[in-house]
Amino acid sequence: MRRISVDIGGTFTDCFVAWDEQYIGAKALTTHHNLAQGFNNALDIAVESIDVDKQELLASVDSVRYATTLGTNALIERNGPRIGLLVTEGFNSTIPLSRGRGYGEGLPFEQQRDLPNAVRPAPLVPIPMIRGLRERVSYDGEILLPLDENDLREKLRQLVDQGAETIVVMLTNSVVNTDHELRVREVFLEEYPSYLLGAIPLLLSHQVAGRKGEYSRAVSTIIDSYLHQTMYHGLGSLERNLRANGYEKPMLISHNSGGMAQLNSTDALQTVHSGPVSGIAASEHLALNGDLGNIVATDMGGTSFDIGIVVEGGEKHYDFNPVIDRWLVSIPMVHLVTLGAGGGSIATFDRLYNTIKIGPESAGSDPGPASYDRGGLLPTVTDADLLLGYLDPQNYAAGRIKLNPSRSRFAIEETLCDDLDLDITDVCKHIKQTADTNMANGISTELGSRGYDTSEFTLLAYGGNGPLHGCGIANALGVNRVLSPPFSPVFSALGAGNVNQLHIHELSTYTVLFDTATNSILSDYAKLNDAIVELENRGQEDLLRQGLDIKDIKFRLEFDMRYGNQRVETAVSSDARRFDSVHDILQLINLFHTRYGERFGEGSQASESGVRINTIRVSAFVELEKVDFTEIKPLLEKLTVEATSSRPCDFVGFDNPIDTAIYDDVALVPGSFIEGPAIITTKDTTYLVEPGWTYHASNRGAVWFFKQDQCS
Amino acid sequence: MTMNNTEVHTLSDEEQGLIDQFLIDNQLFYGPDPDIMRNHGLAPRSDAEESILSSDLDLQKVNMVRGRLTAALDETHTMVEQMGVAPGAKWGDLVTAIFTANGDMAQTGTFGIVVFASVCQYPVKFIKKYWVDEDTVGVRDGDAFIHNDSRYGNIHNTDQSLMMPVFWEGQLVCWVSSTIHEGENGAIEPGGMPSIAETKYDEGLKMSPFKIVENFKLRRDIVTFLQNSVRDPKLQLADMKVKLHSILRLRERVLAVIEEFGVDYLQGTLRKSLEDTETEVRRRIEEMPNGISRVNTFIDGDLREDVLAKMPMEIRVKDSRMIWNLKGTSPEFTNRSINVVMGSLKTCLLTSLILYVWPDLPKNQAVFSAVEVEMDENSLVNASDEAPNAMSLLPIFRCFSMPPMTMGKLNYCMPNRYTAINANTYSQPATLVYGGLTQHGEVTGNFCADINGNGTGGRENKDGEHSLSPVFGYMADTGEMELAEEELPYIRLVAQKLAKDRVGFGKFRGGMGYEQIATVKNSTEFGFMTGQCGSKHPSAYGLFGGYACPAYPMARIKNINIFETFKNNPEQFDFDMITLMNERKITDGDYYVQDAGMNFELCNEGEIYMICQGSGGGYGDVLDRDPKLVAKDLEEELISPDLAEDIYKVICDPNKFIVDEAATEQARKAERKARIQRGIPYDEFVAQWVTPEPAEDLPYMGSWGDDHSTLIVSPPGEKRYSIPAGSAGVMFSNPKDRRIAELEAELAALKNIT
Repeated sequence: MRRISVDIGGTFTDCFVAWDEQYIGAKALTTHHNLAQGFNNALDIAVESIDVDKQELLASVDSVRYATTLGTNALIERNGPRIGLLVTEGFNSTIPLSRGRGYGEGLPFEQQRDLPNAVRPAPLVPIPMIRGLRERVSYDGEILLPLDENDLREKLRQLVDQGAETIVVMLTNSVVNTDHELRVREVFLEEYPSYLLGAIPLLLSHQVAGRKGEYSRAVSTIIDSYLHQTMYHGLGSLERNLRANGYEKPMLISHNSGGMAQLNSTDALQTVHSGPVSGIAASEHLALNGDLGNIVATDMGGTSFDIGIVVEGGEKHYDFNPVIDRWLVSIPMVHLVTLGAGGGSIATFDRLYNTIKIGPESAGSDPGPASYDRGGLLPTVTDADLLLGYLDPQNYAAGRIKLNPSRSRFAIEETLCDDLDLDITDVCKHIKQTADTNMANGISTELGSRGYDTSEFTLLAYGGNGPLHGCGIANALGVNRVLSPPFSPVFSALGAGNVNQLHIHELSTYTVLFDTATNSILSDYAKLNDAIVELENRGQEDLLRQGLDIKDIKFRLEFDMRYGNQRVETAVSSDARRFDSVHDILQLINLFHTRYGERFGEGSQASESGVRINTIRVSAFVELEKVDFTEIKPLLEKLTVEATSSRPCDFVGFDNPIDTAIYDDVALVPGSFIEGPAIITTKDTTYLVEPGWTYHASNRGAVWFFKQDQCS
Repeated sequence: MTMNNTEVHTLSDEEQGLIDQFLIDNQLFYGPDPDIMRNHGLAPRSDAEESILSSDLDLQKVNMVRGRLTAALDETHTMVEQMGVAPGAKWGDLVTAIFTANGDMAQTGTFGIVVFASVCQYPVKFIKKYWVDEDTVGVRDGDAFIHNDSRYGNIHNTDQSLMMPVFWEGQLVCWVSSTIHEGENGAIEPGGMPSIAETKYDEGLKMSPFKIVENFKLRRDIVTFLQNSVRDPKLQLADMKVKLHSILRLRERVLAVIEEFGVDYLQGTLRKSLEDTETEVRRRIEEMPNGISRVNTFIDGDLREDVLAKMPMEIRVKDSRMIWNLKGTSPEFTNRSINVVMGSLKTCLLTSLILYVWPDLPKNQAVFSAVEVEMDENSLVNASDEAPNAMSLLPIFRCFSMPPMTMGKLNYCMPNRYTAINANTYSQPATLVYGGLTQHGEVTGNFCADINGNGTGGRENKDGEHSLSPVFGYMADTGEMELAEEELPYIRLVAQKLAKDRVGFGKFRGGMGYEQIATVKNSTEFGFMTGQCGSKHPSAYGLFGGYACPAYPMARIKNINIFETFKNNPEQFDFDMITLMNERKITDGDYYVQDAGMNFELCNEGEIYMICQGSGGGYGDVLDRDPKLVAKDLEEELISPDLAEDIYKVICDPNKFIVDEAATEQARKAERKARIQRGIPYDEFVAQWVTPEPAEDLPYMGSWGDDHSTLIVSPPGEKRYSIPAGSAGVMFSNPKDRRIAELEAELAALKNIT
């Protein structure tokens, strides 16, 4: 297989190239002024390893796939167009008020609870750019108040006069009756035809999100609209660059749904967070390919710690109302939780409990940890790691950053030692242990609230600080196996190279399977089946439009189901795609019953309150060839590796420093086996093997850590 | 001993002991225990706690245990939020918590309503005191107890809690709980908060703490009894399951912590968290200047009639003591529903401290244990057990408003504050409570999530935020109307539209509230009530010169079908409460403007109900407001141009929103001069302003001035009188009887004329 996949992040552009049997990872700085340049630089580094011309490479690969944080950055930088918003009259303040809680979305808990300092984020659509239209549709699609077209024309004129560069339309209950939204577009095009210079794009909410929930659907549409131009230009320039360098196939874009599509079948919102989501996709691929069972995928970087869940058997965890930046949206996105914990997390003295608190403040990369010597005066997790002996001051981040231990020491002594009445080593151990425990608790909450037992999971630790803290987190979590995956530094890029071409379509519905008022089971099978067929058709059209063969198209059907009027929407994946009998419906109810019981506890089910489908979701996809990683499983052979040196390191639970063997890249040779404590410093990362753990290198750069009584 | 010429036998200790035992053996009724309900302090250390805390606990390990428990509480909070059926559960009105073996509330998770957890300490302590050794009950592993009666510790009877003891090696080591605002509870009006309740027997379910779970399973006989007592048996059953399974999960996690760290670390952590918190609070009190700070607040109605009920608060700080004095508060309304149980009220004061003054503190009971509280007996804030309290929200919400005012004044001079000083968040439950038959044929009763959308007060450094949170919590949710309409037969013709000009003005204005216009479709048996007051006297006060929020009435248009109007004369409908009521274009409708507190009534299809969420109070002098902020308010149509000029003295182009700085400066100078001219010496002001008693026609309740020993009582339709503070409550006549009497008098007068 020959393929290129890329993850364009805020700092680095990561590239993964599969060239027949050779797999290469490469990194270059992201060039924000011209993303193609960073991509070319990364590709140049990659082609050096395989001795092939870049043009030849691009002409030969089956696809080039991109995951990108371009959208996230554009959102944070607030450089989108001026949006005019049309809503149903009476819902004029729905967006500015953001369901009340919108002030705190995406913020750490400490800020969420500080009401006197609460501030909503700067709006994407300021209040003067919102207009209400005289119209109303009921929950079941009945038109209660017909659209007043004179009013519409007047409001459109007002928004255009006020400088609207794009228009978003969000009419209440438009997902069950699209007539009014579609009519708005017709009128708009009558007034402002698209062939004229200065034509303004107009987005309809029901076409962006198929779920009920006027606020989150509107925000999804607004963000889509806000990012559209930036994404179009950014990704368009990448595509032109590819064409100029010999690539002639369609460029593919990773989606936050865990799939991908061509640029012409991608909306801007689908690309946000596609980088981290690609990391989860890579984890899923490794789990399946390497037969790894349940995996909790963690990405520990400088400022954040991402958690994703991959469960054996292929059940996918989605967020249907994820938070993007500070905004609650309505889009099926692979479930990903981000905690404010990373190497740059700042350690402070918690006066109340006379102990240490980690984060949520972060020193980030600028000024960064005190040891970066860039003006940071506050101690961070990285400073503690350095003083405990885990990091090589001269060889951190492939030597790009020289660490200054005296700065770390000063920061910790100044801010923590006296208050805690502990010596500096103990303080560092507390920082390390607290950071690890916090991350473990985050994982535990995630797994627990979904009904999983942490001990049945393998911890996948990637990101800049993942291999360093993997054993510590696993210790706190009660997990015995940690895998530092192959190509850890470009893991999201690797993930982008292994997803299917996929589209998800959803439909909000009020389908009662068991009606307690009448004690009856759903009998209108045709209505249910028609809805499913409609969603399948839409997915199929998406894929056919991209030139895929109809016979390769597969569907996955899911229902979001609930008991009575619950909020929970337990996703139930159904092998059956048509329902024609009481038996079929009862089987679906039983599936829900089982899944719900697994999640919340047997006996917690409440069928007697009624059973209902709230959303029907169809994923249409084409399975594509994947990069082979079957060989990353733990190897039988255990090779002894020569340490390059040793140094004293301090560990949690040990009073005195332990002379710890230090290894270099040689330890990545497949089969290399090392008992902890040990440190392996490679050009890409630092692996910390804590006492009681072993290190076992596998193929392709994968590294396994096992608790010693669990050795392979 | 001789007393009144009667020989009285002096009891020996042994005799007294026998009598005490006799009384215990023959106790008629285990009612609310004053010893429990009046004590908001921490229980004394148990022997186990004493022993654990005198040993050398590793603080880092304690920190890890605390983290584990937080993770468990977050996990179970998520479970309840997702599984819960009640709207309250869906939109944030819930909590899970852990208590010490003695019943002190030691920890809640990252999210959840603190006051629900704090108030649960009382039933837990009741269970521990009465049921542990009671042969017919007992407290065993696998048991759980349900409770909702506020007299045993609850905000109001619409909230239900399930509490479970956690045992380790046969010893009870802690308690876990789960609480949801359930809504429907079988009261005289649907929705769980009956405003017309005249006795506690009108309030629906009154569950003293009793066992409903044995061997980790709900007892179906008792479940059936409860379902039989409420309008929504599905909700009752489903949410009991939700609460049970969340506490089972929490118990499982607590046991895992014990297995990992040992039982001493669990109990040590819970107790130490409380003691550390109390120590920190005492330190903060000592940090404050000595002094007294006061605020007088008023409630202007009891949801049946107009009254002006006083609720004052005085904070006295003297070295390490801080006393919160609520004496002078109106006497209890013995046959009205807005009374509060003292214990419940204290937990609201606690929560207010956490929300508005010290938001960095842990969410546990010890935040308030160092504070001393003074209240009168039989007062609105310390009502007797017989007084109904289903709508206790009215005084309770006011209790969330008082601490930020009084503490804000004391904190103003502090070099180090823990959050911004803030004027009042709007403090009314401005939401429609509903009940009846849904379009799906189900009987229901509950309230809308708009309760979570109060405007917050102006702050020392910025404006308040519009409709941000309930006055009692954070990160709550006003929800999505499309989802609500799917389940219920009401339709929001106006869902959320900021209420123009209805704002607490100030240098930093309050965050505003929004209008709601609702009607009913596809149900012939569905209706609304409200529990809002503040239609004549404002509910959120300004600070340091900022204005209070306006008063908010409600309005109705009856005997119309708006859906017919939409079909035939759509131009008659305006999406705006003021225009609808002022222009009255919808023909043949009966238009009503009234007090915002409305008892339950059926809404025929297409009739219109209009209420308004409120603004927070303003902060600082209106003349200090940055004119650019005024221009922004104008551009966003939050205020009218004439108000910008009248209140803020800002001269601004009404179309381009550009401030005429010179004219503004001149207008402000003129206003400052006018103020000086209007001003009079303080003594003169006092002489003019202070009267020996309230105006005769004012239905005033509470102390007058600073003398709190006597309370003025002015029941409508009766002659005013005074009572010694704490001596008794007040009974009201039925408003309908008063109305009948009025009409009869009119009739008699007419007859005399003829």
